[in-house]
Amino acid sequence: MKNILLVCAAGMSTSMLVNKMEKAAESKNEEIKIAATSGGDIKTHIEDADVLLLGPQVSYLKDDYTKQYGGANGIPVEVINSLDYGTMNGEKVLDWALDLIN
Amino acid sequence: MAISGFQQKLQSVAGKISSNKYLKAVSDGLMSALPALIIGAFSTLLSGMQFEAYQNFITNTGLKELLELPAQYTTDMVAVYAVFFIAFRLAGAFDKDGAPAGLIALMSFFVLTPTAVMEDTSVLPFQFLGAQGLFVAIIVGLISARLYVFIVNKGITIKMPDGVPPTVAKTFTGLVPGILIVVLFTIVSFLFRMTAFESMHQFVYSFIQTPMQNLGGGFWSLIAMTLVIHILWLLGIHGMLVILPIYLSIWMPLGVENLDAMAAGQELPNIVNTAFAQLFMLLGGSGATLGLAIIMTFMAKSKRYRMLGKIALPGSIFGINEPLIFGLPIVLNPYLAIPFVLAPLTAVIIPYFLMASGMITKLAGAHLPLGTPAFFNAILQGGFVILIVQILMIVVTALVYYPFFRVIDKQALAEEKAAEQ
Repeated sequence: MKNILLVCAAGMSTSMLVNKMEKAAESKNEEIKIAATSGGDIKTHIEDADVLLLGPQVSYLKDDYTKQYGGANGIPVEVINSLDYGTMNGEKVLDWALDLIN
Repeated sequence: MAISGFQQKLQSVAGKISSNKYLKAVSDGLMSALPALIIGAFSTLLSGMQFEAYQNFITNTGLKELLELPAQYTTDMVAVYAVFFIAFRLAGAFDKDGAPAGLIALMSFFVLTPTAVMEDTSVLPFQFLGAQGLFVAIIVGLISARLYVFIVNKGITIKMPDGVPPTVAKTFTGLVPGILIVVLFTIVSFLFRMTAFESMHQFVYSFIQTPMQNLGGGFWSLIAMTLVIHILWLLGIHGMLVILPIYLSIWMPLGVENLDAMAAGQELPNIVNTAFAQLFMLLGGSGATLGLAIIMTFMAKSKRYRMLGKIALPGSIFGINEPLIFGLPIVLNPYLAIPFVLAPLTAVIIPYFLMASGMITKLAGAHLPLGTPAFFNAILQGGFVILIVQILMIVVTALVYYPFFRVIDKQALAEEKAAEQ
C-alpha cells in the first residue's frame, strides 16, 4: 500500500485533484491511498505518507517541509507541476508521484 | 532572469510570513473558532431577516428570542473562543501540549476583563467578550502561550515521581506555569485599574484596535489589500494565505460589529469586512474570475480554453479557481496580469461606493466558511439587492477580462488549426 499526501492552502483545490488521481489509481494493480490536507493539519497525516506533494501556490513551503519531513531518512517532498495542477491531470501527477516513491 | 530572481526572493519572504509561528497561531486560532462564529452568524441572520411578515411571525410566536440565543453565546463571545485557540495553536507550534496553554490564556483573559455590579450581584458584561475584546484576546493568547512554552522549556514544573500515571503527571505540568502567568496578568490587570482606562480592554480598544480598524476598514486599505493579494498571486504565491492573519484580525471584527448591530436593530457600521471581500473581491476566487470562467466555457473558440473553462466553472462558483490560475495560466502571464488585478479592483470599488452613498445597504458581515457558493452568500449577507449587485459584478468583471482573453484565445485557436493541418 502506498500513501500520497497533497498539501495546499485550504486543502480544497487539491481535493479536486485527489478525486482525479483516485480515478486514475483504480486502474493500477496496487492499493494507493491519496489524501489532501491544509498546511495546518499536516502533522496528523504525515506519519503514514510515502510522498509529500505541494500545490504550486504553496511552493515556498518546500524548503521548510524538506527540512522537517524530507532529507536522508525522510520522504520525497516535491511541488506539483503547475500546468498539470491547473488542468487537473490526475493520471500524470499519480504516475509522477509513484515514480518519486520508487 | 531578473523576474525569477525577484520572484524567488518574494517567495522566501512570503514563506517566512506565512510560516511565522505567531501570525500562523493567530490565523489558525481564529479559524478554529470559526464553527462557533458561523453558528452565531446563522442565528443572527435568521432572527434579523428584514421581511415584515416573517418578523411579525417570529416576534409573535416568541421564536425570535430563541433564534437570537446562539448568537449571544457565539458571536458576542468570540474573544473567549479566540483566546483559547490562539494559545492552543501557538503552544502546539512549539510542540507543547495545547490544552493547558489554552486554559491558562482563558484564565488570564478573564482576569483582565472588568466585572460590573448590578443590584448587588456581580456580573461579567458581554462588552469585551465579543468583537471589542478580540485584540486583547490575540495579545493575551500569544503572550501567555509563549510564556507557558518558556516556563515548560526551563523545566519549572512539578515533577511527579516515577510510577505516577502520565495522564496525572500531565495535569500538573500546567500548574506552575499557570500560577506564574495568572499572577502576572493579575498584576497587569491591577495596574490598568489604577489608570483612567480602568482595564486593559478599554486601553487596547481605544489605542490599538479602534485606530487599526479605522485604518484597515477604509477605502484605501481595501485597495491596498486587493493589490497585495493579486500581485502576489501573479507571481505564483498564494496571496490570500500570506495576508490571512492581517485579513482575519482586522476585517473579521468589523464583520462581527455589523452582526451585533443587526441583532440590536441598529444601522450597520462597516462597509468593508471579510464578507465584503468574499462576495466581491473573491467572486469566483482570487481575481474575481467567475466572469472569466463563464466567458471561457460559453464563448471560447479554442478547444483548449473551452475545456479548461468547463473544468474550472463548477469550482469557481464555490470560490475555488486554481485550475484557472495554474491551468490558463494566470501566474506570470503578461496577457492576463492586467485584468487579474483590474477585475477584483472594479468588483470592490463599485459596491463600495454604492454602499458609501447609501444606495444599497451594507452587508450583514457574517464570516462564512470558505467554499460558500456565490449567489447564496449574497442572499445571506444582504438579500436580493446584493444578489443583483453581485450578478452585475460578474458581468463587469467578464467585460474586463474579455478583450485580454480574446487575444490568447485567438492564439490558441491558430495553434490548434495549425496542428490539425
